[in-house]
Amino acid sequence: MENMLLVGLSRQVALGQELEMIANNVANIDTNGYKADKTLFSEFLSPRASDQTFNGRDQRVSFVEDRGTFVNMAPGAIQRTGNPLDVAIDGNAFLVVQTARGQRYTRNGALQINGAGQLVTSNGDQVLNNGTPITFQNTDHNIVISGSGIVTVQEGNSTADSPRGTLQLASFPNPQLLEKDGASTFMAPAGVNPNPAPAGTAIVQGAIEKSNVNGVAEMARMIEITRSYTDIANILSQEGDLRKNALSQLSQAPTAGS
Amino acid sequence: MRALDTAATGMAAMDLQVQVIAGNIANMSTTGFKSQRAEFQDLIYEHVQRIGAQASDQGNILPVGIELGSGVKTVGTPRLMTQGALLQTGNQLDVALQGDGWFKIQMPDGTFTYTRDGSFKQDSQGRIVTAEGNIVQPTITIPQNATGLTVNNQGQVSVTVPGSTTSQILGQFTITRFTNNAGLQAQGSNLFTQTPASGNPQDGLAGTDGAGTLQQGFLEQSNVEAVTEISNLIAAQRAYEMNSKVITAADEMLQTTAQLMR
Repeated sequence: MENMLLVGLSRQVALGQELEMIANNVANIDTNGYKADKTLFSEFLSPRASDQTFNGRDQRVSFVEDRGTFVNMAPGAIQRTGNPLDVAIDGNAFLVVQTARGQRYTRNGALQINGAGQLVTSNGDQVLNNGTPITFQNTDHNIVISGSGIVTVQEGNSTADSPRGTLQLASFPNPQLLEKDGASTFMAPAGVNPNPAPAGTAIVQGAIEKSNVNGVAEMARMIEITRSYTDIANILSQEGDLRKNALSQLSQAPTAGS
Repeated sequence: MRALDTAATGMAAMDLQVQVIAGNIANMSTTGFKSQRAEFQDLIYEHVQRIGAQASDQGNILPVGIELGSGVKTVGTPRLMTQGALLQTGNQLDVALQGDGWFKIQMPDGTFTYTRDGSFKQDSQGRIVTAEGNIVQPTITIPQNATGLTVNNQGQVSVTVPGSTTSQILGQFTITRFTNNAGLQAQGSNLFTQTPASGNPQDGLAGTDGAGTLQQGFLEQSNVEAVTEISNLIAAQRAYEMNSKVITAADEMLQTTAQLMR
Protein backbone atom coordinates (compact mmCIF):
# COMPACT_ATOMS: atom_id res chain seq x y z
CA MET A 1 0.00 0.00 0.00
CA GLU A 2 2.91 2.34 0.71
CA ASN A 3 4.00 1.73 -2.88
CA MET A 4 1.26 4.02 -4.05
CA LEU A 5 2.82 6.99 -2.27
CA LEU A 6 6.21 6.22 -3.71
CA VAL A 7 4.98 5.70 -7.27
CA GLY A 8 3.08 8.98 -7.07
CA LEU A 9 6.14 10.70 -5.68
CA SER A 10 8.37 9.41 -8.50
CA ARG A 11 5.94 10.92 -11.01
CA GLN A 12 5.81 14.23 -9.17
CA VAL A 13 9.59 14.51 -9.01
CA ALA A 14 9.82 13.80 -12.74
CA LEU A 15 7.13 16.36 -13.52
CA GLY A 16 8.89 18.94 -11.35
CA GLN A 17 12.06 18.41 -13.31
CA GLU A 18 10.25 18.69 -16.62
CA LEU A 19 8.72 21.99 -15.56
CA GLU A 20 12.21 23.25 -14.76
CA MET A 21 13.23 22.38 -18.29
CA ILE A 22 10.22 24.13 -19.78
CA ALA A 23 11.04 27.18 -17.66
CA ASN A 24 14.51 27.21 -19.22
CA ASN A 25 13.10 26.83 -22.73
CA VAL A 26 10.59 29.64 -22.25
CA ALA A 27 13.26 31.88 -20.67
CA ASN A 28 15.34 31.35 -23.82
CA ILE A 29 12.53 31.91 -26.31
CA ASP A 30 14.36 34.98 -27.63
CA THR A 31 17.95 33.67 -27.41
CA ASN A 32 19.63 33.51 -30.81
CA GLY A 33 20.68 30.01 -31.83
CA TYR A 34 19.10 28.39 -28.75
CA LYS A 35 18.01 24.77 -29.10
CA ALA A 36 15.11 23.58 -26.96
CA ASP A 37 15.46 20.70 -24.49
CA LYS A 38 12.99 17.88 -24.20
CA THR A 39 12.69 15.13 -21.57
CA LEU A 40 12.44 11.41 -21.94
CA PHE A 41 10.72 9.33 -19.30
CA SER A 42 11.06 5.65 -18.79
CA GLU A 43 9.42 3.05 -16.64
CA PHE A 44 11.47 1.78 -13.78
CA LEU A 45 10.38 -1.67 -12.66
CA SER A 46 11.16 -2.37 -9.07
CA PRO A 47 12.79 -5.66 -8.31
CA ARG A 48 10.38 -8.20 -6.96
CA ALA A 49 9.81 -7.73 -3.26
CA SER A 50 8.84 -11.34 -2.83
CA ASP A 51 10.41 -14.69 -3.00
CA GLN A 52 9.22 -17.55 -5.20
CA THR A 53 7.87 -19.32 -2.16
CA PHE A 54 4.94 -16.94 -1.77
CA ASN A 55 1.67 -18.34 -2.91
CA GLY A 56 0.01 -15.60 -4.99
CA ARG A 57 2.04 -13.95 -7.77
CA ASP A 58 3.40 -10.58 -6.79
CA GLN A 59 2.89 -7.74 -9.24
CA ARG A 60 6.01 -5.77 -10.04
CA VAL A 61 5.67 -2.11 -9.23
CA SER A 62 6.64 0.36 -11.91
CA PHE A 63 7.93 3.85 -11.16
CA VAL A 64 8.56 6.79 -13.43
CA GLU A 65 12.12 7.85 -14.01
CA ASP A 66 13.33 10.74 -16.09
CA ARG A 67 15.87 8.99 -18.18
CA GLY A 68 17.31 11.93 -19.92
CA THR A 69 16.91 15.22 -21.69
CA PHE A 70 17.67 15.62 -25.33
CA VAL A 71 18.20 18.67 -27.42
CA ASN A 72 15.85 19.42 -30.28
CA MET A 73 18.32 20.26 -33.03
CA ALA A 74 15.67 21.49 -35.47
CA PRO A 75 16.62 24.82 -37.05
CA GLY A 76 15.11 27.98 -35.59
CA ALA A 77 13.41 30.67 -37.64
CA ILE A 78 15.77 32.81 -39.71
CA GLN A 79 15.26 36.52 -39.13
CA ARG A 80 16.64 39.07 -41.60
CA THR A 81 18.52 41.82 -39.81
CA GLY A 82 20.56 43.40 -42.60
CA ASN A 83 23.55 43.58 -40.27
CA PRO A 84 26.64 42.44 -42.24
CA LEU A 85 28.08 40.71 -39.17
CA ASP A 86 25.03 38.51 -38.59
CA VAL A 87 25.26 35.03 -40.04
CA ALA A 88 22.77 32.19 -40.01
CA ILE A 89 23.73 28.63 -40.86
CA ASP A 90 21.43 26.93 -43.34
CA GLY A 91 22.17 23.27 -42.71
CA ASN A 92 23.27 20.95 -39.98
CA ALA A 93 26.52 22.56 -38.82
CA PHE A 94 27.98 24.77 -36.10
CA LEU A 95 30.36 27.72 -36.02
CA VAL A 96 33.60 26.88 -34.22
CA VAL A 97 34.58 29.39 -31.52
CA GLN A 98 37.54 29.57 -29.18
CA THR A 99 36.52 30.19 -25.57
CA ALA A 100 38.62 30.34 -22.45
CA ARG A 101 37.35 26.83 -21.70
CA GLY A 102 38.43 25.43 -25.07
CA GLN A 103 36.84 25.02 -28.48
CA ARG A 104 33.08 25.27 -28.49
CA TYR A 105 30.37 25.06 -31.13
CA THR A 106 27.52 27.50 -31.58
CA ARG A 107 24.62 28.29 -33.89
CA ASN A 108 24.42 31.87 -32.58
CA GLY A 109 25.67 33.96 -35.48
CA ALA A 110 25.34 37.45 -33.96
CA LEU A 111 29.01 38.31 -34.50
CA GLN A 112 30.99 41.41 -33.59
CA ILE A 113 34.46 42.77 -34.18
CA ASN A 114 36.54 43.37 -31.06
CA GLY A 115 39.03 46.17 -30.41
CA ALA A 116 41.86 44.08 -31.86
CA GLY A 117 39.92 43.66 -35.11
CA GLN A 118 39.08 40.00 -34.51
CA LEU A 119 35.75 38.47 -35.45
CA VAL A 120 34.13 37.41 -32.16
CA THR A 121 30.78 36.30 -30.77
CA SER A 122 28.87 38.75 -28.60
CA ASN A 123 30.53 36.99 -25.67
CA GLY A 124 33.97 37.96 -26.98
CA ASP A 125 34.95 34.44 -28.06
CA GLN A 126 36.99 34.32 -31.27
CA VAL A 127 35.32 32.82 -34.32
CA LEU A 128 37.80 30.45 -35.88
CA ASN A 129 39.16 29.91 -39.36
CA ASN A 130 41.08 26.64 -39.35
CA GLY A 131 42.03 27.10 -35.71
CA THR A 132 43.10 30.75 -35.97
CA PRO A 133 41.02 33.88 -35.38
CA ILE A 134 39.79 35.97 -38.32
CA THR A 135 41.42 39.40 -38.06
CA PHE A 136 40.49 42.57 -39.91
CA GLN A 137 42.82 45.46 -40.78
CA ASN A 138 42.07 48.99 -39.64
CA THR A 139 41.13 50.13 -43.13
CA ASP A 140 38.87 47.18 -43.99
CA HIS A 141 35.30 47.90 -44.92
CA ASN A 142 32.39 46.38 -46.85
CA ILE A 143 32.61 42.99 -45.18
CA VAL A 144 31.03 40.29 -47.29
CA ILE A 145 30.53 36.71 -46.09
CA SER A 146 29.79 34.31 -48.93
CA GLY A 147 27.52 31.30 -48.85
CA SER A 148 30.48 29.03 -48.25
CA GLY A 149 31.66 31.21 -45.37
CA ILE A 150 34.51 33.05 -47.11
CA VAL A 151 34.98 36.47 -45.50
CA THR A 152 36.14 39.16 -47.92
CA VAL A 153 36.62 42.89 -47.40
CA GLN A 154 37.69 45.90 -49.35
CA GLU A 155 40.91 47.25 -47.98
CA GLY A 156 41.57 51.00 -47.88
CA ASN A 157 40.99 52.68 -51.21
CA SER A 158 41.20 49.43 -53.15
CA THR A 159 38.05 48.16 -54.81
CA ALA A 160 39.36 44.61 -55.08
CA ASP A 161 38.18 41.96 -52.61
CA SER A 162 40.78 40.78 -50.13
CA PRO A 163 40.04 37.50 -48.31
CA ARG A 164 40.25 37.49 -44.52
CA GLY A 165 39.50 33.84 -43.87
CA THR A 166 36.72 31.31 -43.95
CA LEU A 167 34.23 30.68 -41.17
CA GLN A 168 35.06 27.24 -39.85
CA LEU A 169 32.04 24.96 -39.69
CA ALA A 170 31.75 21.69 -37.86
CA SER A 171 29.08 19.04 -37.91
CA PHE A 172 28.51 15.95 -35.82
CA PRO A 173 27.04 12.65 -36.96
CA ASN A 174 25.15 12.48 -33.66
CA PRO A 175 24.65 16.01 -32.30
CA GLN A 176 22.84 14.55 -29.27
CA LEU A 177 26.25 13.69 -27.86
CA LEU A 178 27.05 17.39 -27.51
CA GLU A 179 26.69 18.96 -24.10
CA LYS A 180 25.21 22.38 -23.57
CA ASP A 181 27.82 24.66 -22.08
CA GLY A 182 25.88 27.86 -21.44
CA ALA A 183 26.44 31.08 -23.41
CA SER A 184 24.67 29.46 -26.40
CA THR A 185 27.58 27.09 -26.96
CA PHE A 186 27.89 23.33 -27.13
CA MET A 187 30.83 21.27 -25.96
CA ALA A 188 32.02 18.07 -27.60
CA PRO A 189 32.85 15.52 -24.91
CA ALA A 190 36.03 13.46 -25.23
CA GLY A 191 35.84 11.05 -28.12
CA VAL A 192 33.29 13.06 -30.08
CA ASN A 193 35.11 14.64 -32.99
CA PRO A 194 33.73 17.21 -35.40
CA ASN A 195 33.37 16.45 -39.09
CA PRO A 196 33.50 19.05 -41.82
CA ALA A 197 30.12 20.53 -42.67
CA PRO A 198 28.03 18.38 -45.00
CA ALA A 199 27.68 19.45 -48.61
CA GLY A 200 24.90 21.92 -49.15
CA THR A 201 25.49 23.80 -45.88
CA ALA A 202 25.25 27.51 -46.59
CA ILE A 203 25.96 30.66 -44.61
CA VAL A 204 23.39 33.42 -44.92
CA GLN A 205 24.81 36.88 -44.25
CA GLY A 206 22.58 39.56 -42.75
CA ALA A 207 20.28 37.10 -41.04
CA ILE A 208 20.18 35.44 -37.68
CA GLU A 209 18.82 32.14 -36.41
CA LYS A 210 16.30 32.65 -33.64
CA SER A 211 15.53 30.24 -30.83
CA ASN A 212 13.68 27.07 -31.92
CA VAL A 213 11.49 27.07 -28.80
CA ASN A 214 7.85 26.68 -29.75
CA GLY A 215 5.90 28.81 -27.27
CA VAL A 216 2.57 27.12 -27.93
CA ALA A 217 3.95 23.61 -27.46
CA GLU A 218 5.73 24.62 -24.26
CA MET A 219 2.58 26.21 -22.82
CA ALA A 220 0.47 23.16 -23.72
CA ARG A 221 3.00 20.83 -22.12
CA MET A 222 3.08 23.05 -19.05
CA ILE A 223 -0.70 22.85 -18.60
CA GLU A 224 -0.44 19.09 -18.94
CA ILE A 225 2.26 19.02 -16.27
CA THR A 226 0.34 21.08 -13.72
CA ARG A 227 -2.81 19.03 -14.33
CA SER A 228 -1.11 15.66 -13.91
CA TYR A 229 0.73 17.00 -10.87
CA THR A 230 -2.63 17.95 -9.30
CA ASP A 231 -4.19 14.60 -10.30
CA ILE A 232 -1.43 12.70 -8.60
CA ALA A 233 -1.73 14.89 -5.52
CA ASN A 234 -5.44 14.01 -5.44
CA ILE A 235 -4.72 10.31 -5.70
CA LEU A 236 -2.18 10.61 -2.91
CA SER A 237 -4.63 12.44 -0.66
CA GLN A 238 -7.30 9.80 -1.37
CA GLU A 239 -4.80 7.19 -0.43
CA GLY A 240 -4.18 9.09 2.79
CA ASP A 241 -7.93 9.19 3.50
CA LEU A 242 -8.21 5.49 2.83
CA ARG A 243 -5.55 4.72 5.33
CA LYS A 244 -6.99 7.12 7.90
CA ASN A 245 -10.42 5.53 7.60
CA ALA A 246 -8.98 2.06 7.78
CA LEU A 247 -7.06 2.91 10.89
CA SER A 248 -9.98 4.60 12.63
CA GLN A 249 -12.49 1.86 11.75
CA LEU A 250 -10.29 -1.12 12.33
CA SER A 251 -9.07 0.20 15.63
CA GLN A 252 -12.60 0.38 17.09
CA ALA A 253 -12.66 -2.46 19.53
CA PRO A 254 -15.93 -4.34 19.40
CA THR A 255 -17.96 -3.56 22.50
CA ALA A 256 -19.42 -6.37 24.52
CA GLY A 257 -22.91 -7.46 23.48
CA SER A 258 -22.94 -5.99 20.03
CA MET B 1 11.44 24.96 -7.13
CA ARG B 2 14.08 26.16 -9.61
CA ALA B 3 11.54 26.82 -12.35
CA LEU B 4 10.55 29.97 -10.45
CA ASP B 5 14.06 31.44 -10.68
CA THR B 6 14.52 30.31 -14.28
CA ALA B 7 11.29 31.97 -15.37
CA ALA B 8 12.28 35.09 -13.43
CA THR B 9 15.47 35.39 -15.51
CA GLY B 10 13.26 35.11 -18.60
CA MET B 11 11.01 37.89 -17.38
CA ALA B 12 14.00 40.12 -16.56
CA ALA B 13 15.41 39.52 -20.04
CA MET B 14 12.13 40.40 -21.74
CA ASP B 15 11.83 43.48 -19.54
CA LEU B 16 15.24 44.60 -20.82
CA GLN B 17 14.24 43.74 -24.39
CA VAL B 18 11.20 46.03 -24.09
CA GLN B 19 13.45 48.78 -22.66
CA VAL B 20 15.80 48.51 -25.63
CA ILE B 21 12.88 48.58 -28.07
CA ALA B 22 11.43 51.61 -26.27
CA GLY B 23 14.77 53.40 -26.66
CA ASN B 24 14.85 52.57 -30.37
CA ILE B 25 11.29 53.67 -31.04
CA ALA B 26 11.78 56.88 -29.04
CA ASN B 27 14.77 57.66 -31.29
CA MET B 28 13.07 56.84 -34.57
CA SER B 29 13.60 60.34 -35.88
CA THR B 30 16.87 61.17 -34.13
CA THR B 31 19.49 62.16 -36.71
CA GLY B 32 22.33 59.66 -36.94
CA PHE B 33 20.85 57.33 -34.32
CA LYS B 34 21.93 53.69 -34.52
CA SER B 35 19.43 51.15 -33.26
CA GLN B 36 20.32 48.81 -30.43
CA ARG B 37 19.56 45.14 -30.12
CA ALA B 38 19.46 43.05 -26.95
CA GLU B 39 21.34 39.79 -27.29
CA PHE B 40 20.68 36.85 -25.00
CA GLN B 41 22.45 33.62 -24.19
CA ASP B 42 21.49 30.63 -22.09
CA LEU B 43 22.88 30.34 -18.56
CA ILE B 44 24.90 27.45 -17.19
CA TYR B 45 23.53 23.92 -17.15
CA GLU B 46 23.38 21.46 -14.35
CA HIS B 47 24.40 18.09 -15.73
CA VAL B 48 22.29 15.86 -13.50
CA GLN B 49 23.38 12.88 -15.55
CA ARG B 50 26.21 13.30 -18.01
CA ILE B 51 25.91 12.22 -21.59
CA GLY B 52 28.23 9.32 -22.27
CA ALA B 53 28.36 8.16 -18.66
CA GLN B 54 28.67 4.44 -18.17
CA ALA B 55 25.25 2.94 -17.58
CA SER B 56 26.13 -0.62 -16.67
CA ASP B 57 28.98 -2.92 -15.80
CA GLN B 58 28.84 -4.22 -19.37
CA GLY B 59 30.05 -0.84 -20.55
CA ASN B 60 26.80 0.53 -21.97
CA ILE B 61 27.04 4.24 -22.55
CA LEU B 62 24.14 6.58 -21.87
CA PRO B 63 23.08 8.05 -25.20
CA VAL B 64 21.38 10.98 -23.50
CA GLY B 65 22.02 12.79 -20.26
CA ILE B 66 19.94 15.05 -18.08
CA GLU B 67 20.79 18.70 -18.54
CA LEU B 68 18.82 21.30 -16.65
CA GLY B 69 19.37 24.89 -17.67
CA SER B 70 19.05 27.79 -15.30
CA GLY B 71 17.65 30.49 -17.55
CA VAL B 72 18.83 33.30 -19.75
CA LYS B 73 21.25 36.20 -19.47
CA THR B 74 21.69 39.36 -21.44
CA VAL B 75 25.10 39.40 -23.03
CA GLY B 76 24.98 42.87 -24.53
CA THR B 77 23.02 45.54 -26.31
CA PRO B 78 25.22 46.21 -29.35
CA ARG B 79 24.27 48.82 -31.90
CA LEU B 80 23.54 47.97 -35.51
CA MET B 81 25.91 50.13 -37.49
CA THR B 82 23.99 50.02 -40.74
CA GLN B 83 23.54 53.13 -42.87
CA GLY B 84 20.49 55.27 -42.14
CA ALA B 85 18.46 56.73 -45.00
CA LEU B 86 19.52 60.17 -46.23
CA LEU B 87 16.96 62.92 -45.87
CA GLN B 88 17.30 65.96 -48.09
CA THR B 89 17.05 69.17 -46.09
CA GLY B 90 18.67 71.72 -48.40
CA ASN B 91 20.37 73.27 -45.39
CA GLN B 92 23.97 74.06 -46.41
CA LEU B 93 25.43 73.04 -43.03
CA ASP B 94 23.65 69.70 -42.94
CA VAL B 95 26.14 66.98 -43.87
CA ALA B 96 25.39 63.29 -44.03
CA LEU B 97 28.06 60.61 -43.83
CA GLN B 98 27.47 57.86 -46.32
CA GLY B 99 29.57 54.85 -45.36
CA ASP B 100 31.85 54.14 -42.45
CA GLY B 101 33.26 56.79 -40.13
CA TRP B 102 32.42 59.44 -37.56
CA PHE B 103 32.65 63.20 -37.28
CA LYS B 104 35.15 64.22 -34.60
CA ILE B 105 33.84 66.70 -32.04
CA GLN B 106 35.78 68.56 -29.36
CA MET B 107 34.00 68.81 -26.03
CA PRO B 108 34.39 71.86 -23.74
CA ASP B 109 36.82 69.88 -21.53
CA GLY B 110 39.12 69.25 -24.51
CA THR B 111 38.28 65.57 -24.97
CA PHE B 112 37.01 64.21 -28.27
CA THR B 113 33.70 62.55 -28.97
CA TYR B 114 32.36 61.12 -32.20
CA THR B 115 29.00 61.49 -33.90
CA ARG B 116 27.11 60.56 -37.06
CA ASP B 117 24.79 63.53 -36.60
CA GLY B 118 25.85 66.09 -39.21
CA SER B 119 23.30 68.81 -38.49
CA PHE B 120 25.94 71.47 -37.94
CA LYS B 121 25.49 75.16 -37.10
CA GLN B 122 27.65 78.28 -36.95
CA ASP B 123 28.46 79.85 -33.62
CA SER B 124 28.87 83.59 -32.94
CA GLN B 125 32.53 83.45 -34.05
CA GLY B 126 31.65 81.72 -37.32
CA ARG B 127 33.00 78.32 -36.27
CA ILE B 128 31.23 75.16 -37.42
CA VAL B 129 29.72 73.54 -34.33
CA THR B 130 27.18 70.87 -33.43
CA ALA B 131 23.66 71.81 -32.34
CA GLU B 132 24.99 71.84 -28.78
CA GLY B 133 27.82 74.25 -29.61
CA ASN B 134 30.74 71.79 -29.53
CA ILE B 135 33.36 72.41 -32.18
CA VAL B 136 33.56 70.07 -35.16
CA GLN B 137 37.20 69.05 -35.81
CA PRO B 138 39.27 70.58 -37.23
CA THR B 139 38.01 74.03 -36.28
CA ILE B 140 36.68 75.64 -39.44
CA THR B 141 35.81 79.34 -39.19
CA ILE B 142 33.53 80.81 -41.82
CA PRO B 143 34.31 84.47 -42.61
CA GLN B 144 31.44 86.81 -41.79
CA ASN B 145 30.57 87.99 -45.27
CA ALA B 146 31.22 84.71 -47.06
CA THR B 147 28.62 83.26 -49.38
CA GLY B 148 28.12 80.01 -51.26
CA LEU B 149 29.24 77.59 -48.56
CA THR B 150 29.99 74.23 -50.14
CA VAL B 151 30.98 70.92 -48.59
CA ASN B 152 32.23 68.44 -51.16
CA ASN B 153 32.26 64.64 -50.99
CA GLN B 154 35.69 64.65 -49.40
CA GLY B 155 34.54 67.03 -46.67
CA GLN B 156 36.35 70.12 -47.96
CA VAL B 157 34.51 73.27 -46.89
CA SER B 158 34.80 76.16 -49.32
CA VAL B 159 33.19 79.61 -49.54
CA THR B 160 33.22 82.58 -51.84
CA VAL B 161 34.26 85.88 -50.27
CA PRO B 162 33.16 89.22 -51.75
CA GLY B 163 35.56 90.63 -54.29
CA SER B 164 36.76 87.21 -55.36
CA THR B 165 35.40 85.02 -58.11
CA THR B 166 37.09 81.81 -57.03
CA SER B 167 36.06 79.85 -54.01
CA GLN B 168 38.40 79.55 -51.09
CA ILE B 169 38.93 76.29 -49.17
CA LEU B 170 38.54 76.81 -45.43
CA GLY B 171 39.29 73.33 -44.21
CA GLN B 172 38.41 69.67 -44.43
CA PHE B 173 36.35 67.68 -41.92
CA THR B 174 38.16 64.94 -40.05
CA ILE B 175 36.47 61.58 -40.43
CA THR B 176 37.46 59.08 -37.74
CA ARG B 177 37.14 55.35 -38.12
CA PHE B 178 37.15 52.64 -35.49
CA THR B 179 37.89 48.94 -35.86
CA ASN B 180 34.78 48.06 -33.88
CA ASN B 181 32.06 50.69 -34.20
CA ALA B 182 29.76 48.67 -31.97
CA GLY B 183 32.31 49.03 -29.15
CA LEU B 184 31.87 52.79 -28.85
CA GLN B 185 30.17 54.04 -25.72
CA ALA B 186 27.08 56.20 -26.14
CA GLN B 187 27.20 59.47 -24.23
CA GLY B 188 23.75 60.72 -25.14
CA SER B 189 23.22 63.77 -27.36
CA ASN B 190 24.17 61.53 -30.35
CA LEU B 191 27.77 61.48 -29.12
CA PHE B 192 30.02 58.45 -28.65
CA THR B 193 33.40 58.01 -26.98
CA GLN B 194 36.13 55.45 -27.57
CA THR B 195 36.56 52.42 -25.32
CA PRO B 196 39.11 49.59 -25.23
CA ALA B 197 36.55 47.53 -27.20
CA SER B 198 36.26 50.03 -30.03
CA GLY B 199 39.99 50.18 -30.75
CA ASN B 200 41.90 53.41 -31.18
CA PRO B 201 40.47 56.20 -33.33
CA GLN B 202 42.03 56.49 -36.78
CA ASP B 203 41.64 60.04 -37.99
CA GLY B 204 41.40 60.33 -41.73
CA LEU B 205 39.56 62.04 -44.51
CA ALA B 206 36.24 61.27 -46.16
CA GLY B 207 36.49 58.93 -49.12
CA THR B 208 39.91 57.52 -48.23
CA ASP B 209 40.98 54.33 -46.48
CA GLY B 210 37.48 52.97 -46.24
CA ALA B 211 35.88 56.08 -44.75
CA GLY B 212 32.52 57.13 -46.20
CA THR B 213 31.81 60.21 -48.26
CA LEU B 214 29.86 63.32 -47.32
CA GLN B 215 26.62 64.64 -48.77
CA GLN B 216 25.88 68.31 -48.26
CA GLY B 217 22.25 69.28 -47.71
CA PHE B 218 21.32 65.85 -46.38
CA LEU B 219 20.97 64.34 -42.93
CA GLU B 220 21.41 60.71 -42.02
CA GLN B 221 18.21 59.50 -40.44
CA SER B 222 17.91 56.97 -37.67
CA ASN B 223 18.34 53.36 -38.84
CA VAL B 224 15.50 52.15 -36.61
CA GLU B 225 13.01 50.07 -38.58
CA ALA B 226 9.55 50.51 -37.15
CA VAL B 227 8.20 47.19 -38.43
CA THR B 228 11.06 45.20 -36.92
CA GLU B 229 10.75 47.01 -33.60
CA ILE B 230 7.00 46.50 -33.35
CA SER B 231 7.20 42.82 -34.23
CA ASN B 232 10.00 42.41 -31.67
CA LEU B 233 7.85 44.24 -29.14
CA ILE B 234 4.94 41.85 -29.70
CA ALA B 235 7.26 38.86 -29.37
CA ALA B 236 8.84 40.26 -26.18
CA GLN B 237 5.48 40.95 -24.59
CA ARG B 238 4.25 37.44 -25.36
CA ALA B 239 7.48 35.90 -24.09
CA TYR B 240 7.13 37.90 -20.86
CA GLU B 241 3.59 36.58 -20.50
CA MET B 242 4.68 32.98 -21.10
CA ASN B 243 7.43 33.29 -18.49
CA SER B 244 4.89 34.59 -15.99
CA LYS B 245 2.69 31.57 -16.81
CA VAL B 246 5.59 29.29 -15.95
CA ILE B 247 5.83 31.01 -12.58
CA THR B 248 2.09 30.49 -12.09
CA ALA B 249 2.45 26.81 -12.99
CA ALA B 250 5.33 26.32 -10.56
CA ASP B 251 3.34 28.13 -7.91
CA GLU B 252 0.32 25.90 -8.50
CA MET B 253 2.46 22.80 -8.19
CA LEU B 254 3.93 24.05 -4.92
CA GLN B 255 0.45 24.84 -3.67
CA THR B 256 -0.73 21.36 -4.60
CA THR B 257 2.16 19.90 -2.66
CA ALA B 258 1.45 22.09 0.33
CA GLN B 259 -2.17 20.98 0.35
CA LEU B 260 -1.17 17.34 0.60
CA MET B 261 -0.39 17.92 4.23
CA ARG B 262 -3.42 18.23 6.39
